[in-house]
Amino acid sequence: MSEFTREGLEPLATLGNDTPRIDAIERVTGQAKFTRDWKLPGMLYAKVLRSPHPHARIVSIDTSAAEALPGVRSVITYENAQVVWGAGSVNGGRQYNDPTKDATIHRRYIFNNPVRFVGDSIAAVAATDRHIAEEALTLIEVEYEQLPFVLEPEQALEEGAPQVYAEGNLCPDFRGEFAPMVSDIGDVEAGFEEADQIFEERYETGFIHNAQMEPRCSLAHWQGDKLVLYSPSQGISNCRHDTARDLGLEDHQVQVIAKYMGGGFGNKNQNQDADLIAATLSRRAGVPVMLEYSRREDWLGVHGRWPTVQYYRVGVKDDGEVTAMQMRAYSGMGPYRKNSGGISGMDAYGCPNRYREIHPVYTNRTTSGNFRAPSEPHGHYGVENMMDEVAYQIGMDPVEFTLLNMRRPTEEQQFTNYSLEEVIRNGAERFNWPARRRVIPGSDEGPIKRGAGFSFMMFRAGVGTSSAIVRVNANEEYTLYVGVTDIGPGAKTTMGMIAAEALEVPLSQVEVVWGDTDRCPYSVGESGSRTTIMTGIAVVEAAEDLKRQIADQGMPSGTDVLIASATPRPTTDGMTRQCFGAHFVEVEVDTRIGTTKILKYTTVHESGRIINPSTARDQIRGATIQGIGQALYEDLLYDPQSGQPLTPGYYRARHLTHKDIPDIDVHFIEVDDGYGPFGAKTAGESGIILAPAAVANAVANAIGKRMTSLPITRDKILGAMS
Amino acid sequence: MRDDRKQGKRPNQEPDHDPVVKYVDPDTHPLNPKQQSRRDFLEGTGTAVVAGAGISALGIPKAQAQSATTGSRTAINVTVNGIPQSIEVDERWTLAELLRDELDLTGTKIGCNRSECGACTVLMNGEPVYSCSQLAVWADGTNIQTVEGLAQNGDLTPVQQAFVVNNGPQCGFCTPGQLMTATALLNSNPSPTAEEVKEAMVGNLCRCSNYNAIVEAVVMAGEEGGVA
Repeated sequence: MSEFTREGLEPLATLGNDTPRIDAIERVTGQAKFTRDWKLPGMLYAKVLRSPHPHARIVSIDTSAAEALPGVRSVITYENAQVVWGAGSVNGGRQYNDPTKDATIHRRYIFNNPVRFVGDSIAAVAATDRHIAEEALTLIEVEYEQLPFVLEPEQALEEGAPQVYAEGNLCPDFRGEFAPMVSDIGDVEAGFEEADQIFEERYETGFIHNAQMEPRCSLAHWQGDKLVLYSPSQGISNCRHDTARDLGLEDHQVQVIAKYMGGGFGNKNQNQDADLIAATLSRRAGVPVMLEYSRREDWLGVHGRWPTVQYYRVGVKDDGEVTAMQMRAYSGMGPYRKNSGGISGMDAYGCPNRYREIHPVYTNRTTSGNFRAPSEPHGHYGVENMMDEVAYQIGMDPVEFTLLNMRRPTEEQQFTNYSLEEVIRNGAERFNWPARRRVIPGSDEGPIKRGAGFSFMMFRAGVGTSSAIVRVNANEEYTLYVGVTDIGPGAKTTMGMIAAEALEVPLSQVEVVWGDTDRCPYSVGESGSRTTIMTGIAVVEAAEDLKRQIADQGMPSGTDVLIASATPRPTTDGMTRQCFGAHFVEVEVDTRIGTTKILKYTTVHESGRIINPSTARDQIRGATIQGIGQALYEDLLYDPQSGQPLTPGYYRARHLTHKDIPDIDVHFIEVDDGYGPFGAKTAGESGIILAPAAVANAVANAIGKRMTSLPITRDKILGAMS
Repeated sequence: MRDDRKQGKRPNQEPDHDPVVKYVDPDTHPLNPKQQSRRDFLEGTGTAVVAGAGISALGIPKAQAQSATTGSRTAINVTVNGIPQSIEVDERWTLAELLRDELDLTGTKIGCNRSECGACTVLMNGEPVYSCSQLAVWADGTNIQTVEGLAQNGDLTPVQQAFVVNNGPQCGFCTPGQLMTATALLNSNPSPTAEEVKEAMVGNLCRCSNYNAIVEAVVMAGEEGGVA
């Protein structure tokens, strides 16, 4: 069984004590109402028609037979429903920036012509029954003129490559300029001059679909000029604002409701094309419309983590000091720039000379976008395998090499607190690193080889603005209004616990109202690991205000209530605020058949004060398992001849099952740095950052060959060993 | 890792003494019509669906001719959560659609509609089946239990209780299916080991990847006496 331990802080009255989710009963009895569970009177079912080609111009579309099918109520296409999906393609991938969305060069519509990937949407049907809608799709006649397509980001930048847009395949940045994302610190050439040795390597990573269990859907219902949208959103406030903007409405004309939603991991923030399609169909049909994506549509039509190619060059002195780090990289964004295409990891090192150049590139694969820690796991895999290799090449223990070269606080950039060295040393000891690591990689005798690897990270835990309202009545019943949904980490419960702690009452006296933009104030959305710290601070501020009111006026009596709201703008006084982590893993590789088995997995995280231990534990364990899937199994493969996706779906993408799961030990070092709600930091994303790097390092340590391509499938291990 | 994935079990099957469900490769196994999965009849039996004549991008076969817009109906008798029902069902409906759309038992979730994820798992005559891959007409004469049928008079079963205590659900979408497979396991093996739980529940995916907590909860429920 997995071990779970904590050290550093004593539990408070509520915080730090294991607490069942406040909605646990609903979740285990089938009462929890997800979007597809709603049924409104007269509701129609809708389906989307998608491109079977990776790149094509639609010559003609004939919907007459579909429209004539009894039960069909509305058919919309790229010809008669041109709605810009602002969040679907943004200059520079700047997802929260309206002016950038307005200035976006390559816009995405709810239906597109030309179509630019297999799965691009071109039409939709609403009918009285989902089977009729499905049947109607097959009656739409589309004539395509196929165009040349390109799948690989490096090829897309070669001269003569098929062009996804006339301006070329390098995505525009947030200024609308066709330029890579460059970060240039110090003097990298001088750094290489200083080095005794220089190492180079190319790493590549695959496309990882978010693959949340609930496929995308949306239920739209117009009440006059007001749109009520039931949508599985990670951020109801953002979803409302985006939807209003795209449909030409004011924010208050859109109500977004997300009571329960089945995961997202970054692909359900903002609005989605499904929201706009359902809203358009509903407006035309005059009745509510439920749009449902199939699993295959969700896989191809939504998004996943961008595949990357990363070229590193590292200069190092004989004593192990890194003097220069350089990366040139390519991120495959599909044909729309939904998010950044970022590749992080180099900034975890203190080396003063660092140059990074990332090219986000259009291709005719499915769209890439945010997946839990959007820029990190693939970047940490690349840079930490590069550095692990350098350490072994110069004869150093990778842990010692890291302690020598990792980023530390400086006079110019201080931290609210710094635990990186502590989590690494603590993890090394718990894992028994010296005993499990092979000093000479691949030195086990025989075909079954063991080895150990490690990785480390820091991840943003900065504070920011969000809102909360809290009310008390004469019965001392408190009601907390927060615009969170609960995508899995337990935000409702976390917010309730923070309120109970701040109000100094038991959680049972706090009711949480959530998931409805008409009833709750703005919340940042459950993305970027921000809810606990940002909305949490607002909850603390509102609770403190309410306590002051109670102290001044006494508890309300009769039908009176007291109410407080807060929209704080906290800062970290110019310091950077980070959470920290280190993962250690031991693997056993059967080099005869190429399989990798995880024997031991140790995680140590400093995420500030832990609010609810069991949900925090399972954020780390679940994210780690997702990262193991990225390391060893998952990818979306394409046939280079036809441009067809070959592995959409859980089965073909080879997701882990119960049987594949190792025990994962979780240890939290708890610290209260004086910022964030009661010192809480972030946990939701940090766990996924380290598994790909640690597992790949462990495989290299076991077999003595560096695995430079994720996922590390059996064929790649067999290839490396032959 | 792939070779133990459970496919939907068939009704009227002899009770299986071994909780392990043998793997059937849906792409190669010549299933008879009654055993055909929804995935097969939607996608044909090819491994990669490549756009071509008669197949749309998303794998839905084109209508060969204008068919009736409502399927023909058949009356079935089925007991759901202990209540006998006589229902006229559309022959196109899956069991999941019957439960969710007609009987309002929306606790059963549809995650993939093609026998991959297990979110739609219900018990048919006590055996876990993927309700997305059973036609409603096949449920004639069977006894179905869904997640709504677990708790009695507000009392959670031990496995539901263990899910509450040990954070069994994260997003909660796979939870009903996980609970149903766990219930079938605990009915046949009241004190399973962690390995036995993993073996029996291999057909229930959780993308939150809360697998450790789920297995711990099922083991915990077993130690507390299994399901009544």
